[in-house]
Amino acid sequence: MIRITICSKPRLLNILRAVVKFYAKEAGLSHTDADYLALAIDEAVANIIRHTYHGRHDAKLALEVHCLPDRLEFILEDWGPKVREELIRPRPLDEVRPGGLGTFFIYSFMDECSYDRDFKEGNRLKLVKFLTPKGAGCDNESSSAKSG
Amino acid sequence: MKVQVRNLDKISILDSSGDVDLYSSPRLREALLAQIKADGPSVLVNMSGVTYIDSSGIATLVEGLQLSRQTKTRFGLFGLRPNARSVLELARLHKVFTIFATEEEAVEKIGSIAPFEGL
Repeated sequence: MIRITICSKPRLLNILRAVVKFYAKEAGLSHTDADYLALAIDEAVANIIRHTYHGRHDAKLALEVHCLPDRLEFILEDWGPKVREELIRPRPLDEVRPGGLGTFFIYSFMDECSYDRDFKEGNRLKLVKFLTPKGAGCDNESSSAKSG
Repeated sequence: MKVQVRNLDKISILDSSGDVDLYSSPRLREALLAQIKADGPSVLVNMSGVTYIDSSGIATLVEGLQLSRQTKTRFGLFGLRPNARSVLELARLHKVFTIFATEEEAVEKIGSIAPFEGL
């Protein structure tokens, strides 16, 4: 497990992408799938910066990665106002307009997305990617690791 | 990410390189919209050096496309790496943009397409 806390500066997104790719490859995902996973997490973090923090760069957010035998779990925490889940939807792809694709990418590449309603201080989003039988999973974290 | 503009036979070419994400896409947006507004007949984005593109980068390209419709500027992309192309395909935007494989092809053909082709 790794936990990284950063300030909400967009220039730090590449660090998080590198971490996600590292764990994706450790888990046996292909280069392409690792890229997609990094894109999904990048979009989720970008949504926090844009929509929860309204572009503020002095707030903080945290990424936690749990590498389990059958899945990768990514926990994103922020300390902003509560997200209204009912307002989060990917836009229809037949609309050609700027914006709205981030959520679509998250839903496309992740197998599960859920908010922890018990997280009192802000938002805690869990994103899960299940590994295929070929994926070996990580051997550096026990299966008893807390998954959030 | 870097963006450099050069002109070739009345075509503005934006050479983009590096990661296009929430941090860097405003630079691409500024350069791209400026070139389209500059009243030239054709604008091409060289994507061969783009190593990563997220939804903000794609939104920038869509914005460029929409502005090019208003200004009747021919607008195209070339040199997309497989990862950038697959992201565009997933978003079903690969048929919306005019995409060329190489700069040679783009320079040769951009003048012959209709400004709104692809939409």
